[in-house]
Amino acid sequence: MKASLRLAGGLLLAGLIWEGAVVVFGIRQSTLPRLTEVLAAIAATPGAYWSGFLRTAIETLIGFAAGTVVGVANGLIFFRAPILRDMLLPIFVVSQTIPVIAFGALVVMWFGNTLMAKAVIAFYLTFFPVTVNTLLGLHSVDPRQVALLRSFGATGRQILFRLQLPMALPQIFVALRLGASLSLVGAIVGEWFGDTTGIGVLLLQAMYNENVIAVWAAILCAAVLGTGFYALVALAERRIVFWGAEQ
Amino acid sequence: MNRRHLLTGLGAALALPAIPRAGAQTLTRATLRLKWLTQTQFAGFYVAVQKGYYREAGIDLTINPGGPNLLTENLVASGADTFGLSGGTDSVFAARERSLPIVCTGVMHQQTPFVFVARADGPIRTLADFRGKTITTWFTGANFVLLGMLAEAGLRPTDFTMQPQQVSVTPFVDGQIDVVTATRYNEFYTLMTRMGRDKLRVFVPDDHGITFPRDTVIVSEQTARDKPDMVKGFMQASIRGWRDALRDQKLGVDTVMAVAPTLARPHQEFMLEEAGKLMVAGPAATNGLFWVDMPTIQKAHDFFLRNGVIKAPLDLAAAYKPDVLAGIPLADRMA
Amino acid sequence: MTRHRGTLRGILGGVLLLTVWEAVARGFSLPAYTLPAVSDILAAAWQHRAVLAAAGWITAQEALAGYAIGTIVGIGLAGLLVVAPLLRGPVLPTAMAINSVPVVAWSPLVLLWLGVGMGSKIAMVALAVGFTVFLSALAGFDRVDRRSVDLMRSFGAGPAGVFWRLRLPAALPLIAAGMRVATVRSLIVAIVTEMLGAYGGLGWVIYQSVTLIDFVQVWSAILVASAISLAFFGLVGAIERRVIFWR
Repeated sequence: MKASLRLAGGLLLAGLIWEGAVVVFGIRQSTLPRLTEVLAAIAATPGAYWSGFLRTAIETLIGFAAGTVVGVANGLIFFRAPILRDMLLPIFVVSQTIPVIAFGALVVMWFGNTLMAKAVIAFYLTFFPVTVNTLLGLHSVDPRQVALLRSFGATGRQILFRLQLPMALPQIFVALRLGASLSLVGAIVGEWFGDTTGIGVLLLQAMYNENVIAVWAAILCAAVLGTGFYALVALAERRIVFWGAEQ
Repeated sequence: MNRRHLLTGLGAALALPAIPRAGAQTLTRATLRLKWLTQTQFAGFYVAVQKGYYREAGIDLTINPGGPNLLTENLVASGADTFGLSGGTDSVFAARERSLPIVCTGVMHQQTPFVFVARADGPIRTLADFRGKTITTWFTGANFVLLGMLAEAGLRPTDFTMQPQQVSVTPFVDGQIDVVTATRYNEFYTLMTRMGRDKLRVFVPDDHGITFPRDTVIVSEQTARDKPDMVKGFMQASIRGWRDALRDQKLGVDTVMAVAPTLARPHQEFMLEEAGKLMVAGPAATNGLFWVDMPTIQKAHDFFLRNGVIKAPLDLAAAYKPDVLAGIPLADRMA
Repeated sequence: MTRHRGTLRGILGGVLLLTVWEAVARGFSLPAYTLPAVSDILAAAWQHRAVLAAAGWITAQEALAGYAIGTIVGIGLAGLLVVAPLLRGPVLPTAMAINSVPVVAWSPLVLLWLGVGMGSKIAMVALAVGFTVFLSALAGFDRVDRRSVDLMRSFGAGPAGVFWRLRLPAALPLIAAGMRVATVRSLIVAIVTEMLGAYGGLGWVIYQSVTLIDFVQVWSAILVASAISLAFFGLVGAIERRVIFWR
């Protein structure tokens, strides 16, 4: 309760600083519009922003979930089978060097104008950091502890679930927090390839119409979605990795 | 009300919209890929969808917007989209030169839709004054039009600086560059609202003998060959939609704004009005909307050939199909 | 010896992928706008090597400059928050809010503010890299065991001592992982920003090639981008191994 009050207070303060700075320093609208102008723009067509928000949120969530599952699975497989890691990890790395935006047409050709096409891009950006960090986390487990458990007769599965995965979780969560932002990027960029709803569409329309207020309105939506999602992941981290980071 | 009644009611509610759907089983599904984001530049297509003109022509049409780095020719050639509204005669040339199997069945803008803009109070009064100046333009065809115009004014490419123009006209508004490229219906509006019409000096390609019809309707060669009736029906319905949108521009703007509510209405009104002017200009005045004017296209083709933009002559008769429109009575094509 | 084998396997995996790609493109005689053959891409890359090298050089400069700035600011900021925990309250939420907006959403504004030149690309790269490294570094600094901190304190170590002796060494693997992930991101962000507005660079070549319907050229530009990314990734990886070796 107290925390949410503090949060509300902080937001109010940030808003006041924004509004005040623009008025006091006489900042041009094309550089930074007043917050109230941005909010008024959202209030003028709330339906458009809400449906865009929802649509992008769904794409992000699907892509993030798929990216997490596949990423952790990849990490486990690579940990167990170094030959696959050696063969595939370089290819994964290469795949991550490709800017998806260059292949907008290919994405549309392969996945059509569907929600899935955006989720696929969100997935594509998320799975790699999760893979790498899962692998790193698994490798960071002290081999002596593994040997100890083994000497007690623990099976490979037990060692994995009781020792290695828990030890890797903090590392995995670092990637998940990154992935939370990346999957949103993926969804938004995906919407640039000829979609009709979404924050990405709003952003693009605003950008090319040079409507700075609408750009900020879309950025605000993205910020709310991004912060909310990030907070969820961080909350999950605190709940799950309670033994981890200590403050 | 017991559960059975509820179910019956639900069934009836579901059956109702199913009635037209049952009759619509003869509809052919098709998509139209626009060249850019939803805006009134494409109002007529949205009106035709809303009024059911495509359905009457037997087409269940979905409109897909375009975006940066999406090329309509590419998506139509690969079959991802049925119809396309693509860049213009120039992009059709480029696609045909690279053997993309697409044909053009209609042209929306009969005049070059873009102009080159300088400051009215600046040093640029004629094309010859472009010497030593910095110009931004789109490297998608407009650059060649500009090069051609300036060549005829006696300027060589080394006499001025030409830079790519993307996203924003702000560098021009801020005085960082001397000449900017603007479509009559879009960037020009931004320039007008930010600087004032009387502050702008406009150079029109058509005044210098260069006309590039743009916003071309394309289909794949296969569709044109196998489904000529659908292509004809599409053109007919599109013309009907555009007629309504041009006659009742409020309807046109309303229909588009319903799809993209965050757009700025005054800008969209201006856009529809200006795009409409381009659509009824020149040969369209006597031949109707979407007219494919072969002499103009031939001239544009020869201009590109002369400037080395296309390496070898193209078979224009294979690339442009005015006969689809010719099959529709002239009275039905007039705006 | 094992590293040697890993490299061999990596090469094997790559060759396998390229062979399948070439076979699919040739076997189904796919048009260039769907998937050009590898050999065609290589030939085009060789043919346009001068243009691509010049463009690659521009993009690499932007990416490197942004990467350097982003890394320094990211680690510095995380270190600051650890040494001065009072700053966490205001700084962390602000940083999160900025970061939760997808990098690409800032690009229209950054282009408006900093122009179409290299400055806007460097700023965008620094933003993207900075947050990646910042998050990794913060997580790394935080994962030190409270008891170790107390122990060092009891021996009379100040906050700076704890930071240098304990937190930094403990954070290094995570920072290194973040820095490695960030290498790839730096190139992509530079390219994406170039595609929206630039005077040169690989993103500009890609944009240009798409509009001129030259898909083989798009792929060859991507090839160069990937090569630069990989070299960068490898370089940072090599430095990381050396640092860990020293430890």
